[in-house]
Amino acid sequence: MTRDIRSLPQDDLFGPGNAGCRGCGAAIAGRQAMKVLGPRTIVTIPASCMATLSGSNQRTAWKVPFYHTLFEIAPAVSAGIRAALTAQGIKDVNVVSWAGDAGTADIGFQSLSGAAERDDDIIHVCYDNEMYMNTGGQSGSQTPLYAATSNQQKGKQTRKKDMLAIMAAHGAGYVASAAISHPWDLMEKLKKAAAWRGFSYIHILAPCHRGWGIPADQTVAVARKAVECGLWELYEIENGERRRTHAPSFIPVAEYLLAQSRFKHLTAGQIEELQAAVNRHYGRKEVK
Amino acid sequence: MSALLLTGNEAVAYAAKLAKIEVLAYYPITPAFPAMEKISKFIEDGEMKTQFVRAECDHSALAAALGAALAGSRTLTVTNSQGLLYMTEVVYHTAGLRQPVVMAVANRAVSAPHSRFPEHGDAISQDASGWIQLFCENNQEVLDTTLQAFKIAETCRLPVMVNYEGYIQSHTQEEVEIPEQAKVDAFLPFTRIAALDVDNPQGVNTVTSPEFYMDYKYRQDEAMQQALALIPEVAAAFGREFGRDWGGLLEAYRMADAEHAFIAMGSAVGDARAAIDALRAAGRKAGLIKVRSFRPFPAAALRGLLKPVKLVTVLDKDIVFGAGGALASQVKAALYGFCAPYVHSYIAGLGGRDVGAREIRRMIELTEERADQPAACEWFGL
Repeated sequence: MTRDIRSLPQDDLFGPGNAGCRGCGAAIAGRQAMKVLGPRTIVTIPASCMATLSGSNQRTAWKVPFYHTLFEIAPAVSAGIRAALTAQGIKDVNVVSWAGDAGTADIGFQSLSGAAERDDDIIHVCYDNEMYMNTGGQSGSQTPLYAATSNQQKGKQTRKKDMLAIMAAHGAGYVASAAISHPWDLMEKLKKAAAWRGFSYIHILAPCHRGWGIPADQTVAVARKAVECGLWELYEIENGERRRTHAPSFIPVAEYLLAQSRFKHLTAGQIEELQAAVNRHYGRKEVK
Repeated sequence: MSALLLTGNEAVAYAAKLAKIEVLAYYPITPAFPAMEKISKFIEDGEMKTQFVRAECDHSALAAALGAALAGSRTLTVTNSQGLLYMTEVVYHTAGLRQPVVMAVANRAVSAPHSRFPEHGDAISQDASGWIQLFCENNQEVLDTTLQAFKIAETCRLPVMVNYEGYIQSHTQEEVEIPEQAKVDAFLPFTRIAALDVDNPQGVNTVTSPEFYMDYKYRQDEAMQQALALIPEVAAAFGREFGRDWGGLLEAYRMADAEHAFIAMGSAVGDARAAIDALRAAGRKAGLIKVRSFRPFPAAALRGLLKPVKLVTVLDKDIVFGAGGALASQVKAALYGFCAPYVHSYIAGLGGRDVGAREIRRMIELTEERADQPAACEWFGL
């Protein structure tokens, strides 16, 4: 993909009229994704902010077919949609289940796992704001260690479940992480997923400024900090080959964490622990 | 036309084949799973050109069928008991989206305690879901009703459950005539309606506010009322084409001068016919009403039949705890303010306890013995 903004379609297939908060990370992810998925796409979205902000009554913010599904079923209905399209001889349509972290990793995990194992020809996108924001910001499996949430105000005491590793373990042909701060990387990965015949999985870090306790105009900047400090690694696994798609600059994790009120309570020891984990992951020597 | 010895499960499979479903989705459960395996075999053998979604659970099975329907394909799933209860959220959702999914249900008791055996409790648990619920007496009716279900569902845009009892029907062979494919094709033309269509994009199930929600629900109930006329029309059209009319909403058997009516659904109806025949032979004015459509409930048709009747016995193979049998409650609600026969009802046959012609005859006699006491719902065969 030529990284020239003029090469992208001008038309936004998702966005105008959506009911998201200003600076909504999910809406940014949706807009970027649709630039490459194009008009021949069917989107299913389970209960989430994204489903809620996508339309109400007789209005929709999508220019493609959009179906607001039950919480647990987006990958399963997408499998059914794909089966119907195949039966009807329709081959040029992307079927995308687009879920939040709950609809992907928690309540929606069973149907996701089923679709991945069957290698259904769908793209599952997880837009991850690391908490249950549509119900006010409770903890879920994608909430990171120590993050404060509305029902764990002193911070979550267990780690974030590694969904990318889990989906790779299903043998899915294409698995990738992405972040709204790196749109070219995100769009290139969605383009690969769209071309992939079989199941593919994209996990997008899409901060929620309300849940994370950051100013509304900092959604993209904080996502970039997550990537640059190394806590959110951008990579892809294509046919079992793992490749890092962006080399982080390794700003201190504290710069990312302390920009958010959900991590304000962290002790120096906890910050050091998270820094050490990053260093270990990337094989770096101890750095402050 | 050819006849085969088929179980109820196999009758469902032949109906799915004859209806040329485009998408099949299911999750195996006892005792419905042989129906699923049979359809899968038809597909593997190339006798059906059907896409199969091997769902990882019952909830996803109905979800996949729903997705296929939303994308414009004719689709079917099969389940019962725990599977149906696990699907419940999707059951309601499918009806609200007005998608013509057909589901065969091999009725089985609901846990706890764990049981693999027949009763109607699973279907009755979904009576407010917005699905049309048809009950079959024998395996020929299972095949015929499944074919009719597609026509009904696709005409009034409501999903349809075809109920047949586990083991008593699902695993018992009967002679079943297989209609000719060309005649089924003529009876069941398919008009594709795709809510999800890239050439005509629209939002499905957007968040609905109070000024819209209730009107959607009204339309759903209105369609259910329209089905009261549609179900007999489809049954009659099927009868003209294939020579078998199962009676639409209900069937009256020897009711012409009956003073005592026995009312039941499902496999017990066959035994009830034998019981009524025996009573008639003994000079008793007894008749039978087979309720074929539980949803929509044929209140008006029932009133017409029961107006001249003095005594009514209702058999429920279900229990709504604290309220009695579901069928009896409906019968009484239909009659209230119109006519007032003595309606005594029985909870029987739960979890596979046997109910045959002898038991049914005993229930009818018991009602006559009880008739000077307040009518009630009693447990039979404890």
